[in-house]
Amino acid sequence: MPSADGDGPSDHELLRRHVAGDSDAFGELFRRHRDRLWAVALRTVCDPDEAADALQDAMVSAFRRAADFRGESAVTTWLHRIVVNASLDRLRRRAARPALSAGDEQAFEALVAQDGDPARAADTRLDVDAALRILPPQQRAALVVVDMLGFSVADAAAILATSPGTVKSRCARARARLLPYVAHLQGNRSASQSVSPAQGGDP
Amino acid sequence: MRGQMTHLDTDVLAEFRAGLITGRRGAKISAHLASCDRCTALDDRLAGVSVLLASVPAPPMPDRVAQRLDTVLAAEAANRNDPERAGKGSSRKATTPGRPTARRGFRLPSPRVLAPVAAAVVALAAGGYGLSLIGGGSTSSMQAASGTAPSASSSAAASAAKGAAEPAASARSQFKSSSQTVDVTPGTLRQYVEAELRLPRAERPTQPASSLVRGCVQRVAGTAPLELVQSALFEGQPTTIIVARTGQDYTAWVAGLDCSATNRDVLYLTTVPSGISGP
Repeated sequence: MPSADGDGPSDHELLRRHVAGDSDAFGELFRRHRDRLWAVALRTVCDPDEAADALQDAMVSAFRRAADFRGESAVTTWLHRIVVNASLDRLRRRAARPALSAGDEQAFEALVAQDGDPARAADTRLDVDAALRILPPQQRAALVVVDMLGFSVADAAAILATSPGTVKSRCARARARLLPYVAHLQGNRSASQSVSPAQGGDP
Repeated sequence: MRGQMTHLDTDVLAEFRAGLITGRRGAKISAHLASCDRCTALDDRLAGVSVLLASVPAPPMPDRVAQRLDTVLAAEAANRNDPERAGKGSSRKATTPGRPTARRGFRLPSPRVLAPVAAAVVALAAGGYGLSLIGGGSTSSMQAASGTAPSASSSAAASAAKGAAEPAASARSQFKSSSQTVDVTPGTLRQYVEAELRLPRAERPTQPASSLVRGCVQRVAGTAPLELVQSALFEGQPTTIIVARTGQDYTAWVAGLDCSATNRDVLYLTTVPSGISGP
């Protein structure tokens, strides 16, 4: 997966400079990967506000723990791992609240019912994001990392702090569970370029 | 039927596709797929799930979130690089300047780029970051492992707060400008909230000033018990500071003027440990 490329210092170099005291290095590292880090947070917690909070937790944690990074994995793998941890942590804290809870198929049905406008049915991203909500958080995180962000199973295992077998198993169960909710979108993938303000932009 | 087995269900096929079913059972599934159109079609649809997910573009980070993260990281950088000056301008005896800076080996000069944030952050630097190395070491590493940095540092802030000698009321007044407006920054917010929480609850403002703010408070804090609702300047911008008890800790949100029941306009948030509250 992407690490440093082309121009400028590598991710490892930026992290090394940060640990050595360079006050701009971490910010540059973050800006380099922020859209993907945002995507994993947003899709794991399924809520832009919670995702922003989770990402803040994660980046403060990464900033402070950079000296603990041993270079066994790519810097992006390490950053994604911290973001996934912070996102799942947010979900655990949110679980007590009577909001839309993860794994709640009735909530999904309600969401689809609200969204009865057929024009919106063409908005693949909204539908995919809505469908992801039916998954238990751990399965969703695995699927986001592997299928949506394109990490290898080995890297995903490092990000999710579990074994490759568990990653495969979570992804398999998630895909099977998602199938009935997204089958209608499969012939409609060209529509996926449309942008959904409900998920991507400011509320 | 030709495949000598019943049709495959979605879970089994998904596991097979993921490489989780091998050996004789895997061979049977392969053989069945070779002869069963129905299961092959299901298999194709299952493959299509991954293809579909991969085709969905990643949403760009909203500008507001990017700005917030930049502010947070700038505050972290200023906080880290300038613990030497932390004692100056702070009345806390507990903030021993310079002591824990050895962790990084050396310090850089004050970062000019971050001047607006740095000036504000120095007051908290030793109390937050520095003491985390003295008092919160084991907690920090444990919590950091689960990616919850704010509470890791805030356990240290608790020890700082316990060591504070000055009366809470005067601590509160240092955050007010000449016009008695509360005036805080990312660097002083936690210190301000700690000072407020040391006061009896009855002496703290907890009533939203308007129905808009009331909606905002509900949107931001949900049903968490409110400890403080205060209009304040945050980096010179008019905001509302909302503090509520959230589990073991307190959370302080800085909400912008656009915040309402339907718009969670949060400019900043921080976690403040419990154990510092007044009577």
